[in-house]
Amino acid sequence: MKLFKNKIFLLFLPAAIFMILPFYGFFHALTQSTGGEGLAHYEEILSSERFLSSVWFSIRTAGIATIISIILGLVFTKLFHPLLNNTFPRLMVWIPMLFPHFVWGYMVILIFSETGWMAQTLVAAGWLGDTSNFPVWTRDPEGIGIIVTYVWKEVPLVILLLFPVYASIRPEFYALVNSLGGNAWHRLTTVDLPHLLPVLVESFLIIFSFTLAAYEVPALIGTTFPEMISVLGYEWFYGSSWEDRPLAFAAMVMTSLFLLILTLIGYFGLSRRRWRAMRGDRA
Amino acid sequence: MKKFIPFFLLAILLVTACSETSTNTKDWTEASWDEIEAAADGTVVRLYMWGGDEGINDYIDNYVTPQVEDRYGVSLKRVPLDTPEILQKLQTEKQANKQNGSIDVIWINGENFKNAKENELLIGSFTEVLPNFNDYYNTEDPAFQTDFGTEVEGMEAPWGKVQFVFHYDSEQIKNPPATMEELKTWITENPGKFTYPRAEEFTGNAFLRHVLYAQAEKPPDIYEQPLEENDITPTAERTWSYLNEIENDLWRSGEHYPNSLTELDRLYSQGEVWMTMGYNESRAESLIEEGVFPESTRSFVMEPGSIGNTHFLSIPFNSPNQPGALAAINFMLSPEAQLEKYKPNDWGENTPISFEQLPEDIKKEFKAVERGESVLSTEELEESFLPESEAAYVDWMKEQWFNEVVQK
Amino acid sequence: MIRKKAMFLSLTLLFFIFPLTIMLLQSISAPWRFHTGQGIDWGWQGFSLLFQNPQLWEATFTSIWIGFAVLFINITIGLFTGKALASYTSYGKPWLEALLLSPILIPSLAIAMGLHLFMIRVGLADTIWGVMLIHLVPTVPYSIKIFHNSYQQMGKAMMEQPHILGAGFWTQVFTVELPLLRPAIRSLTFLTIVISLSQYAITAIIGGGRVLTLPLVFFPFLDNANTSIMAAFSIWFALIPVFMYIIIEALMMFLPYSRLPWRNHR
Repeated sequence: MKLFKNKIFLLFLPAAIFMILPFYGFFHALTQSTGGEGLAHYEEILSSERFLSSVWFSIRTAGIATIISIILGLVFTKLFHPLLNNTFPRLMVWIPMLFPHFVWGYMVILIFSETGWMAQTLVAAGWLGDTSNFPVWTRDPEGIGIIVTYVWKEVPLVILLLFPVYASIRPEFYALVNSLGGNAWHRLTTVDLPHLLPVLVESFLIIFSFTLAAYEVPALIGTTFPEMISVLGYEWFYGSSWEDRPLAFAAMVMTSLFLLILTLIGYFGLSRRRWRAMRGDRA
Repeated sequence: MKKFIPFFLLAILLVTACSETSTNTKDWTEASWDEIEAAADGTVVRLYMWGGDEGINDYIDNYVTPQVEDRYGVSLKRVPLDTPEILQKLQTEKQANKQNGSIDVIWINGENFKNAKENELLIGSFTEVLPNFNDYYNTEDPAFQTDFGTEVEGMEAPWGKVQFVFHYDSEQIKNPPATMEELKTWITENPGKFTYPRAEEFTGNAFLRHVLYAQAEKPPDIYEQPLEENDITPTAERTWSYLNEIENDLWRSGEHYPNSLTELDRLYSQGEVWMTMGYNESRAESLIEEGVFPESTRSFVMEPGSIGNTHFLSIPFNSPNQPGALAAINFMLSPEAQLEKYKPNDWGENTPISFEQLPEDIKKEFKAVERGESVLSTEELEESFLPESEAAYVDWMKEQWFNEVVQK
Repeated sequence: MIRKKAMFLSLTLLFFIFPLTIMLLQSISAPWRFHTGQGIDWGWQGFSLLFQNPQLWEATFTSIWIGFAVLFINITIGLFTGKALASYTSYGKPWLEALLLSPILIPSLAIAMGLHLFMIRVGLADTIWGVMLIHLVPTVPYSIKIFHNSYQQMGKAMMEQPHILGAGFWTQVFTVELPLLRPAIRSLTFLTIVISLSQYAITAIIGGGRVLTLPLVFFPFLDNANTSIMAAFSIWFALIPVFMYIIIEALMMFLPYSRLPWRNHR
């Protein structure tokens, strides 16, 4: 171990330099959010009904999208991971990852809007009287369009993150559970989940924070009210009344802090378990 | 692979050792035109403007760009960016004291101009040096003196003039409403067939200000008065009740308002709604030609009138190429460029030029332009013309609309 | 197994292939109006209008160039950090990991706004270099993650063995680690390039419009009523990662132990 000791710090150097970028940016945003008036802007947004309802809507929408993505991705990987060892099936699963989020959002509109492909086809087939009878799935107050877009885009990401872990689980573990008389449920809880937990928590954090704070998709496929926090922040930021700008920074800083705390909780919860696992890991 | 480490270090070192020398030492707004033309030759001019309309983009790319290259040897580069984002960029550059920027010309008016002027993001008064402005425009025109209630003071040059109109499909609607009250009746009779863009959007905000004008005792109560919230409370109350009364019969029962004018246009083009609207009385022409709008699209205005405004070109405080910017703006104000812009094939918008000051032949050419069947007659437009209110109303509307209409 | 395969195929067809097909078909036909009883009107109008856009090629090349640079820096940082994390075993590790993940948790708009001033001062604003740097923020944490996982899969033994055999640092990287990291590099290629291609807001802020990438051209048109152009543009977006993936795959053939015809002894 001693041989590596010095090198490890050298190896961290590029990452350390890189970290200057986001942190400098974040602290600058922090200064802007106070605007020399302390926490006044925070008090202002916390008493704004519009902000609070957008916080609730964002957490709810991002949470639903993340949980559905993870469950579907988990089921898919569990069922099909042997097939994914081949290049061609893997490439097919990755198709949505080829497109930027806003392009995929556009495609969801193309297919699911009230005058979209699906409504048109149903009308043409005679199953639907008029395109206006098609349910409102995009730009809807429930955030369905946003959730559909994110789930569709993130399931392949979950598969991408989970697949290597599944591929690395030795079949002997399952054999062991079987020989001890365990059933499918036992296999899932004693073999799969302990292996997957760190990745699942990480995937949750990555996807949740992205869907919570990204601007492009809700701007495209969201509705007037309720709105995602990113859309509101963008509006405050670029709106013509420049006094709102510190509010935008305050909203972004609060979102960041919330996500950072969530991450710390997640990692803290994992840390002991991981520490134990690492000790036994091929040492 | 180690190459980037010194690069980063260098970048960090540069932060501390930063002192930019200004290259804009000469004040070009005082120079003679010959001098400006000479200095403009062979330079690059970056025109930053909203890029969401293909007709407008085509006009710049296929007409203006080759022409200024030809005339002044200026190579014009159009950069698509929304005006608030441009101003944001300038504001940050100002904060960083960056004297050598990247934007030479911006397209601006209304509350954006107010912000830019108040934050000193523009070079200052420059219209006096432009030969075309002095020769062909009525420089005393009040429309050029104030922009949404803000004194222009020569800091922006008039580029175009537009008036707000509504569009409808004449095959679906025989008699379009003639007043705001009739519009309300029409909406009740045709539920789901009308909507307007949200208040944050340029056009949507203008629609809302039309409602406000209509609910006032008389429109001048709004456009001649600076915004005093207490004074207009009764008018505002009537406006909100009007909007809330129509809300249930709007498209999707008012649960979603289009995010942009293009979204509304798409709804209209797909027949989901039967009316659309917009600044620029002739904008339907190119959309009809493209097949986006039905051929039977016509336009109308309502009592008490339709708001019109002027939009301008201006130069940021840190433009790296002021002579080039002046030359380009001068060309865009020229009778030829305005004539081309007036023709319905690309853009088709009205000109702020003064016909009395034009040479006979060009005046004739202007008169000969067929603006298209969807465009109202000049007389009708002029008769219904209403000036813009102060820019503060725009922001007030954005905020209040959300509180009073959307959240209720 | 066969049933599983059939299920896999039908699911991927429905959810992954089908939308792509719709987009392809729309890009080579006029906007659809099936409900009015119209059929499909084939034509290249969507693509021809797309290629008429004088900014398309400039934006495409800029995007590709930025994509490659971002990918290269990502691989470098990811490789070093992933390796360091995998061989680092102290109590602070989870916190360190959380810290390294944090750049994708802070809204990138806030970071970009904060960095704009800094970039102006160092002369990186409005340059392609500045845009490359800002694109690192939403990508590098993924790379570290992916490389860290790969190094952990590889196991310590794999890293100690060449060292014991006397290989220098770079020899070890090129002959042992990179060949084993190939799957990670593949995932990374997709991820970083698509993320880089997705950035509208932060590219607009740091690039100031001077650095014209594809989203800057695409975004103003998103609400366009002409669905054919938009579908063609969407397809164009997806072709870029594919193109870059092929190049990276070709480059990776030069790594040792690759299945090159002239050294296929594995």
